[in-house]
Amino acid sequence: MTTTVEVLGFARGPDWLPWAVQYFFLIGVSCAAFFLSLPGLVWRLPSWRTLSRLALLAALISGLTAPVALMADLHQPGRFINFYLHPNFGSWMAWGSFFIPLYVGSLLLYAWLCLRPTLLRLAQRAGRLAVVYQRVSYGGHDNRQAIGLAALAASLGAMLLLLYTGMETMVVSARVLWNSPLVPLLFLSTACVGGLGMTLLVAALAGRRDVAPALNRGLALALAATFILLAAWFAGALSGQASAAAKALTALALSRVWATTGVWFLGTAAFTLWLAVRSPQSLWSTALLALHGAWLLRWIVFIGGQSIPRMGSTWFDYSLGIGPDGLLGIAGSLGLALFLYVVLTGLIPWDERAEA
Amino acid sequence: MTCPPDPGRRAFLSAIPVLTAGIAAPARAADTRSPHWGMLVDTRRCIACQACTMACAMENATPEGAFRTVVATYAVTTAEGATGLSIVPRLCNHCEKPPCVEVCPVGATFKREDGAVLVDGDRCVGCAYCVQACPYDARFVNHETGKADKCTFCSHRVEAGLLPACVETCVGGARIFGDLHNPESEISKRLKEAGNAVSVLKPEANTRPNVFYIGLDAALAGRVDGVSAADMMWRPDHQGG
Ligand code: SF4
Ligand code: SF4
Repeated sequence: MTTTVEVLGFARGPDWLPWAVQYFFLIGVSCAAFFLSLPGLVWRLPSWRTLSRLALLAALISGLTAPVALMADLHQPGRFINFYLHPNFGSWMAWGSFFIPLYVGSLLLYAWLCLRPTLLRLAQRAGRLAVVYQRVSYGGHDNRQAIGLAALAASLGAMLLLLYTGMETMVVSARVLWNSPLVPLLFLSTACVGGLGMTLLVAALAGRRDVAPALNRGLALALAATFILLAAWFAGALSGQASAAAKALTALALSRVWATTGVWFLGTAAFTLWLAVRSPQSLWSTALLALHGAWLLRWIVFIGGQSIPRMGSTWFDYSLGIGPDGLLGIAGSLGLALFLYVVLTGLIPWDERAEA
Repeated sequence: MTCPPDPGRRAFLSAIPVLTAGIAAPARAADTRSPHWGMLVDTRRCIACQACTMACAMENATPEGAFRTVVATYAVTTAEGATGLSIVPRLCNHCEKPPCVEVCPVGATFKREDGAVLVDGDRCVGCAYCVQACPYDARFVNHETGKADKCTFCSHRVEAGLLPACVETCVGGARIFGDLHNPESEISKRLKEAGNAVSVLKPEANTRPNVFYIGLDAALAGRVDGVSAADMMWRPDHQGG
């Protein structure tokens, strides 16, 4: 047997940094949480009212943080205007630059339309901000038609975002871990896991255990879908039917770090599924585990996927630094999400009990 | 996508009367047809001295630890126990069907009429999508400029009637640069002579490279199934400059 030692070669480091992981995670979470807001706020199903309001808060927090993480991942953020001045519509990323403002803009409009009556009620309570609430409520009408239209635009934006984020990754045939038709579906199913997780987290912070059973039911379904998709990916890889997946699996299985990370992901996802089914009242635990799973899948796909050598034999041995391109980036975007949570919950009561 | 006009063409033609021996190959391309630049790497002549790696780094001022070209070197031990050195000089292949161009969201990466795949540094947003799409790891984001970086076939030199720095410096004459459209060019003749012995990196990627190899070990044409000695060696990304 011939053996080969790469005496001199080099590995390129990942150019999509943890910021990219944060973006793909947060935008997926936001889109999924937005869809959870529809039954209560657009279709006005009474049993969904509380859950949907909390989901809207979850969608806003993650949806407003995501574009900041994306900008931070650009090495020339000041030039983002070029996306609009010179779009190359043959690239999924170019389409994404139009889908993001469509979604975020219509999400903000939708949220404002839904919150106008609440804002008016706040204005009617005497307080220092009464004038501001009065102005922002703009009459405080509950315009169902306008809400429906804004929800339609945001739904379109969310679907397009879920589509483009998956396709943008899938079409890169140079990256064996990305180049699978199952990747967009896995991004979709784990976006649902993350969206449900974020809504559970917001519910946990608000102390609304009553919404836990419904959210945990959804979480169990989303995780089951994720496992079916993962089983299909492994089947394709092991049978050799999917050659890119087969190469990716062989490479990752030989890497101690990534094999351990993969097993950890599968183990924690299975535990989350078990917990969601066995303990439907869980709030904090399923919330944090779901967010962890949705985030970790993207970490494996993006950072692991970029570590597999494309030429030669040298792996890029990624280690998470503490600087802005590493831990500080992750902490920074989570900090922004926390800031938004504090501001939004400080200004607006999202729990109807508090509004009463 | 339309290619930007090539202002260098006139400069290239006007430079012809002052050609030196070293620029013979591009000079032959200066007929009425547009040239189509390509490179042939005769690995049998390469001694893995890395003079090209250094010349490129000096010419193009690449940041420490980032290379536009490198001579990857392998110790291959056969079943009989004989160990020999195999090499693959790597650079951008200036592909005919470059996936890096397709994905660039702002059209900053483009393929010029003369075959060179270039980056418009004023337009690039540093999104690194092209870096992901290149099957050859030929690109990187230059952390000094924040823009995509790669081999340009030394366009600035070629436009001035000079050879790319790696070709100019190659001790063994292993790198031959020239016009693939011109049947009389050195590269065209050598490619014709070599016939079936010519290969490209990762042909299955269907990118149709314009960098060709003679004497390339097929096992080294893409991802190499082997172990890396890199972890035992000095690496700027690990040990610091
Ligand atoms: S080798 Fe890579 S960077 Fe060069 S043209 Fe081909 S795809 Fe683009
Ligand atoms: S890094 Fe620059 S050249 Fe590469 S895809 Fe992004 S904008 Fe285009």
